[in-house]
Amino acid sequence: MLFNSLTFLVFFAVVLALQNAPLPWKVKKTNLLLASYLFYAAWNPPFVILLWISTVLDWRVAKRIYAEERVSRRRGWLAVSVLVNLGLLGYFKYGEFLLENWQALMSMVGVAWTAPDWDIVLPVGISFYTFQTMAYSLDVYLRRAKPADSLLDFALFVTFFPQLVAGPIVRPTQLIPQFQKPVRATRNQLLWGLGLMTLGLFEKIVIADGALAPAADAVFGAVKPVPFSDAWLGTLAFAGQIFSDFAGYSTVAIGVALCLGFSLPDNFRFPYAAIGFSDFWRRWHISLSTWLRDYLYIPLGGNRKGWHRTQVNLMITMLLGGLWHGAAWTFVVWGGLHGLYLGVERFLQRRFGGAKIATTFGFKLFLGLLTYFLVNLTWVFFRAREFPTAWRMTRTMLGFGVEGSEPVLSSYLVVLVVAVTAGILLVHGFMRNRSLEQVVAKSPWWLVGSGWAAMLLLILIAQGSGDAFIYFQF
Amino acid sequence: MPSSTSSFDSEEVVLREIPALSWSRVTLVALVLAAVGLGAWEAYWRVAQQYDASYRNSDGQWAEVRRRVDANEPNATVFIGSSRTLFDIDLDVWKEETGVHGIQLALEGSNPLPVLTDLANDDDFHGLLVVGITPPLLFLPGIGLRAEVLEHYYDETPSQRIATRLSYPLETTFAYYNLDTKLFTVLGRQAWWPDRPNLPFQQPEVRKLEEMRRDRQADLWDRVETDPEFHAIVTGTWRAILEHLPPPPPEDIARAKFQALLDQIAEDVAKIRARGGEVVFIRPPSSDFFREVERKAVPRERVWDPVVGAADAVGVHFEDYPALSDVRTPEWSHIATGDKARWTRSLISILKKIMTDRGIHRPEMQT
Repeated sequence: MLFNSLTFLVFFAVVLALQNAPLPWKVKKTNLLLASYLFYAAWNPPFVILLWISTVLDWRVAKRIYAEERVSRRRGWLAVSVLVNLGLLGYFKYGEFLLENWQALMSMVGVAWTAPDWDIVLPVGISFYTFQTMAYSLDVYLRRAKPADSLLDFALFVTFFPQLVAGPIVRPTQLIPQFQKPVRATRNQLLWGLGLMTLGLFEKIVIADGALAPAADAVFGAVKPVPFSDAWLGTLAFAGQIFSDFAGYSTVAIGVALCLGFSLPDNFRFPYAAIGFSDFWRRWHISLSTWLRDYLYIPLGGNRKGWHRTQVNLMITMLLGGLWHGAAWTFVVWGGLHGLYLGVERFLQRRFGGAKIATTFGFKLFLGLLTYFLVNLTWVFFRAREFPTAWRMTRTMLGFGVEGSEPVLSSYLVVLVVAVTAGILLVHGFMRNRSLEQVVAKSPWWLVGSGWAAMLLLILIAQGSGDAFIYFQF
Repeated sequence: MPSSTSSFDSEEVVLREIPALSWSRVTLVALVLAAVGLGAWEAYWRVAQQYDASYRNSDGQWAEVRRRVDANEPNATVFIGSSRTLFDIDLDVWKEETGVHGIQLALEGSNPLPVLTDLANDDDFHGLLVVGITPPLLFLPGIGLRAEVLEHYYDETPSQRIATRLSYPLETTFAYYNLDTKLFTVLGRQAWWPDRPNLPFQQPEVRKLEEMRRDRQADLWDRVETDPEFHAIVTGTWRAILEHLPPPPPEDIARAKFQALLDQIAEDVAKIRARGGEVVFIRPPSSDFFREVERKAVPRERVWDPVVGAADAVGVHFEDYPALSDVRTPEWSHIATGDKARWTRSLISILKKIMTDRGIHRPEMQT
């Protein structure tokens, strides 16, 4: 079920009413769990079985791990959890990719082998809930957390509908304790939650789908090469679109949860105001980057095993992070570029980190713009479905134009992309060291109300296309 | 990625901060202002632009009508084609004259042949299929403007199906809730945007042309006929599109492609007939500049005649029957609402006669 659908509005109204009805807490949690299954089944009912498999498996495995003292047995049970979870993810998400690459490899060594058809539907959100349930088993294994006391609480943790299909990826210790005692949203929580939902839908429907997607689609879908201006405008449009789409989803998720009385963590903190790439990843898809840090980078050794090993660990983490987004080499290159940026940044920090100039506003502004420029180059690989398009776009954006190029953006789209991108950058710059809550709290009530009204009105008259959120495919 | 190795701060329960404001007042202001703004927007479209609330002709609505073929009306009469078939056929008259409530599956700006193939492969269908031919659209790659409609029909999720139903009351209440009045569509078509140098021709958006019912009966919108300014916009759009038709492919490729198309039609028609169904072809009228371009680019003898011949089917071309030619087509391509009932009645009468003469027995087409 999409947040930007009429079905969700009705669904949410019913869930909200049930959550505020005079019912025992256990009944309310059961309602939430059933609602979450319904939310998922509204897309494709049979795939609810995958949620049940993950739930039952990790519930049992975590109990075993916790009760077991022998290291080898603990490892064995953890391996069961990881293998089944990653096995399901691999089968549904990477099966075709692996077969295609195996076919290509065989062809290179002269073996004529044709991969069978792999007509498998990707279960929506599988990457998100797989990582969330794996975090549970891993936390218990690492003795960072105890197993949940109640299967109902654990099942709700795995399935909690606001963040089920596109995050934020929540840790068990962030959410399960909230299910243990009765909660009910206060009036202010409910209204602020509704405000956040409006903001998130505004980002998705008005900014991402309405204002920016047409330009990004036109440029990346162009049959002929596009000139320098269009290549940049298309990429800037996609940069704004992917942020508004994904941050919009997270904001709605946080708002929905808050209306029900639960707190979810931030997933974005104005990433286009980042100065450098460590900063970027502290602001972009925070729940994934911290997941990768805690369950991949640190277990690999993190920065504890010397300079070179740190670089290798960083690169492995970012390459796999790229692959998490999609079964294509373009995503791997996207991750690899970020790994490279992080490595170079660490080198420069070590070499020049103490320089006085680094603290001046002008230099920070330069670094911020440089970061934004380099991030945009990576988006080309994220958005382009094939390498030829990505290479062609990158060459053009770096000033090595391709002959026979032809513009594809009308002056309307040019103005729209420039205006919206400038708006996004100004907002991110202003909010760099602030939180939304701080800024809203300092604003007059009538201004906040007017801003909310403007967003609501624009959502209604933009009408929306009903397009799925981009991150659903991951 | 943050590379600190010591922080597990992300594992804590963090209760979200709520900005300290009078949220009741904030919400009241938001709701009142949004309601006033929406009311003004709705009034603008209703009063200044003469729009009425109407069904949106969504993919979900099409899928709902398409399911009638599978559900309980396998013997029904189904219409496929482009907007001419969609606007020109009067379903009420069809029911009156044949006793059958037709299933209207024609799609604007679309090639009917993929839908023909889809119905040919649907064992549930063994009724009468009326295929409307708009010659230039036969050569679109795929369906055309409504490219995703079949995919939507087959992959529609329960959530999408419910959303379609929930959308109907809004569609029939709000005039602004229309594909033609979406904010960014309205912004994009404003005349104040300058032409961009070297930008190749971009096909203009076709404006609102019809008023639609839930069963997809669509009538040409009155304003197209009565408002000279809007009429000029619509004919200007047709002219722009027709003056920029893509050049035909080289003769040998065109011939091979056309032969493949004819073979596919013959195969599809044979499949439907093998199940007891029947297929007829119709060519609804066009006029003025549209007709001129069609005569030159896709003349009857090179397109219509071979298509009907390949299918060995009944074919009714408006040029052959005065009763089908004698109608108003205000914007050159669709019959005026006032004439469509008469036109549909004439079409049925002609079809009945030809089918009877040829010994094609369909209960709904008996004279």
